[in-house]
Amino acid sequence: MRKSVLLLFARQVFGTALKNKAVAALLLLTTALLIYATYSGIAIYQQQTHSRQLYQREVREHWENMPDKHPHRMAHYGYIAFRVKHPLSFFDFGMESYTGNAVFLEAHRQNSINFSEAGFSTGMLRFGEISIAMILQVLLPLVIFFIGFSTVAADRENGTLKILLSQGTSWKEIIFGKALGLLGIALSVLLPVILLLIISCLIFPEKKYMADNGWRITWLALSYIAYAGIVSLVAVLLSAVNKTAKGALVSLIGVWLLFTIIMPRTAQAMGNYLHATPSRIEFETAIEKDLIKKGDSHDPNDPYYKALKDSILKAYKVDSVQQLPFNYSGFQMKEGEKVSAMIYNQHLFALLQKYRQQNDVSRLSAFLNPFAALRDISMAMSGTDFQSYIQFQQQAEAYRYRLAQHMNDLQIKLISNKKPGEHDKPYSISSDHWKAFPDFEFERTSQVCVLMHETPALAALFCWLTALVVTTVILSKKLKAL
Amino acid sequence: MFVLLLKNFLRSKMVITGLLIVMVAGVISIYIGRQHIEKIKTSIAKTEHYQQEHIQRNVQFFNKEIGLLLYYLRFALVNQPPPLNALSIGQRDVNSSIQQVTIRNLENQQYDTDLFNPYSLLAGNLDFSFVLIYLFPLLIIAFTYNLLSEEKEGGTWRLISVQYRRPAKIILLKLAVRAVIIFTALSVLLVLAAIILALPLDKSFWATVSLSFFYLLCWFVISFWVASLQKSSGANAVVLLSAWLLLMVICPGVANNYITSKYPVPEALATVVKQREGYHEKWDMDKKETMDKFFAHYPQLSNYSLPNTQFSWLWYYAMQQMGDDEAEQEARDMKDKLWQREKASRRISWLIPSMHTQYQLNTLAQSGLGNHLAFLDSTKQFHENKRLHFYPKIFSEADVKKENWNEYKVMTFTESSGVGWAAMLLPLVIITGLLAAISWINFRKIQ
Repeated sequence: MRKSVLLLFARQVFGTALKNKAVAALLLLTTALLIYATYSGIAIYQQQTHSRQLYQREVREHWENMPDKHPHRMAHYGYIAFRVKHPLSFFDFGMESYTGNAVFLEAHRQNSINFSEAGFSTGMLRFGEISIAMILQVLLPLVIFFIGFSTVAADRENGTLKILLSQGTSWKEIIFGKALGLLGIALSVLLPVILLLIISCLIFPEKKYMADNGWRITWLALSYIAYAGIVSLVAVLLSAVNKTAKGALVSLIGVWLLFTIIMPRTAQAMGNYLHATPSRIEFETAIEKDLIKKGDSHDPNDPYYKALKDSILKAYKVDSVQQLPFNYSGFQMKEGEKVSAMIYNQHLFALLQKYRQQNDVSRLSAFLNPFAALRDISMAMSGTDFQSYIQFQQQAEAYRYRLAQHMNDLQIKLISNKKPGEHDKPYSISSDHWKAFPDFEFERTSQVCVLMHETPALAALFCWLTALVVTTVILSKKLKAL
Repeated sequence: MFVLLLKNFLRSKMVITGLLIVMVAGVISIYIGRQHIEKIKTSIAKTEHYQQEHIQRNVQFFNKEIGLLLYYLRFALVNQPPPLNALSIGQRDVNSSIQQVTIRNLENQQYDTDLFNPYSLLAGNLDFSFVLIYLFPLLIIAFTYNLLSEEKEGGTWRLISVQYRRPAKIILLKLAVRAVIIFTALSVLLVLAAIILALPLDKSFWATVSLSFFYLLCWFVISFWVASLQKSSGANAVVLLSAWLLLMVICPGVANNYITSKYPVPEALATVVKQREGYHEKWDMDKKETMDKFFAHYPQLSNYSLPNTQFSWLWYYAMQQMGDDEAEQEARDMKDKLWQREKASRRISWLIPSMHTQYQLNTLAQSGLGNHLAFLDSTKQFHENKRLHFYPKIFSEADVKKENWNEYKVMTFTESSGVGWAAMLLPLVIITGLLAAISWINFRKIQ
């Protein structure tokens, strides 16, 4: 392949495309949408982050300003954790709109994460949202297809192709050259977005995550460029294979519909069909059943808690809990919390495993569908994927558990074991203990872990590129000029 | 002539494949809908069973104090999905169709969501409404994009123009052939849906049928209009697909972003914080203050007085009540915002047939936001009734054993289903009529 010929074709595709009024209009529309998406992405990020931070601070203030009281009251007062948005979420909304945003953390009970945007939606959300990522993943390929369908087929129809080939140009040069031209058009849209990402990374207030964000943006940029390469090659290849430009256009539109509209839904529907998940009532009753089997702390005659009590009494060589040197009811609650959290986590883990199995069908479909590959990588790097959500859920639960057990420990240590009389003032401890308990802070996953988790998707993109290059090489020996 | 055109058209392999894909997707969507309905139905049955068991067990453990017992007891209200919900799952996968509440602070309970996999929500449901709104128009586009252009490109148009006084009539006839096939396919799917899902043939069903027909008619007219512009087949395909993209992706996306940022709901977070403070701060406040407020809310209960003990259930439930009472403003603001969103969506969707059809289907299937808000209102009423029923019993320390606990069955909320025919069909009819008129004028110019 001669470099000069490649560049010649690339320049020709690029030049004629920009001269075409319809193409110019399409690119203009895409740009306008991108600007709108950037604007609304940033606005939504700021708005939601602002109100969540505001309430998170308020929750903390209230917590610290609680007066002296019984630690178990504080365990029930609990905490509210708000999901922190990743700053890159302005680029790719991912599943942000479908996940809950606030969770009430209290003793004895794992609450659901509530108030998702989807729950507040009129159902219109299901048509999808306009984000920068969505435009680059869904609309940009269509624009490339609209430009690229005629690249080879038009030359064939007007006879130029015969002349080109008879003058010694190889099929490889034609296909790769023209694909390069299309890639150039895609890059003229992509590069400004990448620049935007780099600038925003520099102005994000959080310096701690600067390097991490930098890497995330690098991976995003590489994946999007690879995707654009795949799209360009597919366009030129189908244009070369089809006898007419019309045929090429129709098959490209078919490919686009299949990849971006039909396959994602079908793959997930298949996953849902193969791996049925329990409803909430089933989930909750199963947990309750296991809890009762292990020991029901509400039942005064429960054998598990009775045995626990007897063993403690024996160890301390006393015959009633009132004689124990520590607060027994705190001790029993600590044990209860341990047991219930363990059982809950077992069930939750099984549920998440089911969800993962459902999602694996979509994730593996990346090998058939490059759009699915890019979508997964993009969401993951923008911190808006399933994994990031689970991370929040688990960190919030861990915090809830720490809080409840800390309050139980305070009760065991600092509250008298003697039950107060009906008219006595209830026991309380100093409010300094509340201030000493740290605030909830969401720990982000590092990009390395995200990268590891997204290996299949990255591998899929790589396979697609390789397969397309190999196909081009093979086809260039078989293709005919007529 | 018509039969000839029909036979000729059905000979194409592309036509048969396209039809087959959409029909298979349609049948799958019906079964997905059935799975969805069955999951909810099983949940409801389980809830009924569970409630019995749950009440019995707790009554056995906490039979001394009715106040303590009612701290634990949960009562369920069910938002019965109509059979049509199988065709349009809507918001029913996010919003729970079952509410289980104790008589404590409601604001802390009623927003609990169902369990769901966010990845599935993002991908979207493959239900009948998807097949109707997304896939059928694609089939129409594939069948009709070269209605006129293929005659021109194949050189047959001159022949037609010479033979017929009104050549546009041939185009209309060709369109009719395609319409017959598409509407037959739709009817077959609807009949299958009615059989598989055992849909009652009531007003809502016929409304769904007519909505579907008018929506697809709208697409035929869009295609007719594009043909009237007399561009090449390639250009027609691009224009039609762009129209599809505009109606399925861009307009709804922009509308959704607009609604999200125009009506943000920080009140939701405010409600959570407020109700929690409203209740918990009362533990450290003068009891009289709480009781005064409580008795102001329920004057009929003011004959009960606080016992002389540190703790009492009267005080406890008065504190719980304060959680709701003090977050009332925020909760109301939140609901107002959500209604505003609902209304804004409805208004915007008048202009966008795809959104309009989805919105109306969700309304008919009782799976939209409006239905959920009505369910929340009904939950509030249900909760209030339970409170009013149990408050006097708790405050007078009624005997747990004297209460007939078997009578507390799961209750059902059913939204009254009316069909607003005009609001449902008029937007589609107007758009269809306008486009048809424009196209007809365009065609009259060709002679």
